[in-house]
Amino acid sequence: MNEWIFDIWTIITASTVACTSAILGSFLVLRKKAMVGDAISHSVLPGIVLAYMVSQSRASWVMLIGAAIFGVLTNVLIEFLNKKAKMTADASIGITFTWLFAIGVILLAYFTAGGIDLDQECVLFGEISMINLDKIVVDENLYLGPTAFWFIFPVFILVLLFTTIGFKGLKITSFNEDYAASLGIKNGFWNYSLMALVSLSTVMSFESVGAILVVGLLVIPPASAYLLTKKLKVMIFLGCLFGIMSSVIGFYIAKHYNLSISGCIVCVAGLIFLVNLVYSIIQSKSKRNISIQQ
Amino acid sequence: MSMGLLLLQSCRLEKKAPGEKLLIVCTTGMLGDVVENICGEYADVKVIMGPGVDPHLYKPNPADIRLLQNSDVIVHNGLHLEGKMGEIFEKLDGEKIVIRWSEGIPENQLLHATEDENSHDPHIWFDSDLFMQGAQYFTKRMGESDTINAQHFKKNLELYLIKVNALEEKVSKMIDQIPVEKRVLITSHDAFSYFGRKYGFRVRGLQGISTVAEFGVKDKVELVNYITKNQVPALFVESSVSSRSLESVIEACHKKGHKIKIGGTLLSDAMDEKGKLGGTYLGMIEYNIQTILEGINE
Repeated sequence: MNEWIFDIWTIITASTVACTSAILGSFLVLRKKAMVGDAISHSVLPGIVLAYMVSQSRASWVMLIGAAIFGVLTNVLIEFLNKKAKMTADASIGITFTWLFAIGVILLAYFTAGGIDLDQECVLFGEISMINLDKIVVDENLYLGPTAFWFIFPVFILVLLFTTIGFKGLKITSFNEDYAASLGIKNGFWNYSLMALVSLSTVMSFESVGAILVVGLLVIPPASAYLLTKKLKVMIFLGCLFGIMSSVIGFYIAKHYNLSISGCIVCVAGLIFLVNLVYSIIQSKSKRNISIQQ
Repeated sequence: MSMGLLLLQSCRLEKKAPGEKLLIVCTTGMLGDVVENICGEYADVKVIMGPGVDPHLYKPNPADIRLLQNSDVIVHNGLHLEGKMGEIFEKLDGEKIVIRWSEGIPENQLLHATEDENSHDPHIWFDSDLFMQGAQYFTKRMGESDTINAQHFKKNLELYLIKVNALEEKVSKMIDQIPVEKRVLITSHDAFSYFGRKYGFRVRGLQGISTVAEFGVKDKVELVNYITKNQVPALFVESSVSSRSLESVIEACHKKGHKIKIGGTLLSDAMDEKGKLGGTYLGMIEYNIQTILEGINE
C-alpha cells in the first residue's frame, strides 16, 4: 500500500514535536532546567492513579487530564523550591519528581494492590511508530494525517505564538533575573507561564509520541545549538533544525534496520551533538592559537 | 492551487484488490496459534508479540507496524493486556475488522484482578474453556465477513475443539497424580488465577499483575510464612519475568529451615519457540502442567 504517505506523516509529526521541544528546550537549557521533561515523565504517576480512582477508567483522555494537572503541579513545586526556598534548579527538580513518583507508587500499591496495569508506560505514553494506525480520513479514503499530529500541532502553534509575543520577557528572565526585575519585568509571570506551557506540551507530546523521544528532543538539539551560538534566536532556530535532522535521519535508519524509531531519532540527535562538540572544541582552540600568534 | 489538489489526491489510500488472501494479525502467540488452526489455509496469519515477549512491556518495531497497517483483520486479547495499543485497535474498527477475543467471554466468568469492578484479569488463555469461547466468537465474526469460507472456519474450529478436549482429558489425568493438599502454585506475578480456578490449584504470586508497584516487604513475609506453613515443595519461575525476586523468597525460606526449590520455568504471558513443546497453544498448556507435576512430585 502507499507506504510513503505514512512515512512522511511520521516524519512530519516527529519534526513538529522536535520544533516544539527545541523552542521550549532552548529556554530550559538556559535556565538550567533541561531535565524538567524527564521529571514530568515520572511525576505524572500520582495524577494517573488519582484520575483512575475518580473515573474508574483507563481511557487516554482521562489519564491525560490527571497527568496534565500533575505536570503543572510539578513545575509549580520546582519553581517554588527554586525561587522561594533558594534551592538550586537541579535539586528542586530532583526533590519534586522523585517525591511525586514515590507518592504515585504508594497510591498504586495501596489502592489497587498492584492488581491492574496502571502506569504511565502502558496507559499514557504513546509510541511514534504507531501514530499512523490512528488516522484522520475524510471523503472515504483521503488521508489527512494521524490524529497524533493534529493533537500536537495546536500545541506547536501555541508555543510559537507565546514565545514570539513574549520573546523579550522570556529572554531577559532567562539570562538575568535581577536585571529583569530592575527593568520592571515580572519574573514570576514569565517563569510560571513558561513552565505551565512546558508541562502542557510535554504531557501532550508524551501521549502522542512517547516519553523518551520528547525528553531527548527537549534537551539534546538545544544543547547542540548552544555550542554554536551565543544568540538566543539563532539557538532556537538551530535547535529546530537539528531536531528535524534527527527526526528525518533517525526515522530512515529505524525503517531500514527495523529498530525503534524514537531510539534512533534520539541516537542521531546525540551524534549531532557530538559532531558539534568536536567542532566547537577545534574552533575554540584555533581561535586561541590565532590570538597567541597575534 | 492545482498542484496542491494533485498532492492531496495522491494522499488517498489504496484499497486491496478483491480475491486476495486476508491478512490476519494477532497480538499474542496464543491467539495466533488458535487463529492459524481455524483459518490457516484461507488467510495469512501473523503474530507481533513473539516467543518470550512480555505483553506488558511490548514495544512495536517498524515491521510490526507495517503488518498492522496492511492487515485486514486484527485479533487482540483485550482486557487491557495490550495497554494503550488496545485502545488504538478499537479506533481502527470500521477500517479493518477488529476482533477482541475477550468479547466472546461472558463477564461473569471473568476474574477480577482487584476488588475493583471495572478491571478484569487479562490472562484468559490459562483456561481453555474461556479461551475457546473467544475462539467461537472469533469464528462467528470471521464468518460474517468472509462468507465464502465461513463453513471451513466452522469445520476447523470443531476439529480444534476435539483436540482441546483430548488434551484436557490427558491433562486432568496428569493432575490426578498430584495430591490435593500439594496443589499450590507459587509464581513471580499474578498470572495464574484462571489456571488455579480451572485445575483446582491455590495460586499465590509475589507481584501483582502490574510490575511497577514492586512487591512490599509484607507481601514477601506473608508469602514466606505461607510457604513454610503449608510445606510447599517448589515454586515456579515465569519465562517472561525475572527470577531475582523469587530467589530472595527461597533464601528467606531456607533461613526458616524450610527447603524449597525452583520447580521449573512456566510459560505465562508468551509461548515458547516454534518447534518446541510449548510452541503451540495446546503444547503450552501441556508443558506447564508437566513442569508443575515434575516440580511438585520430585
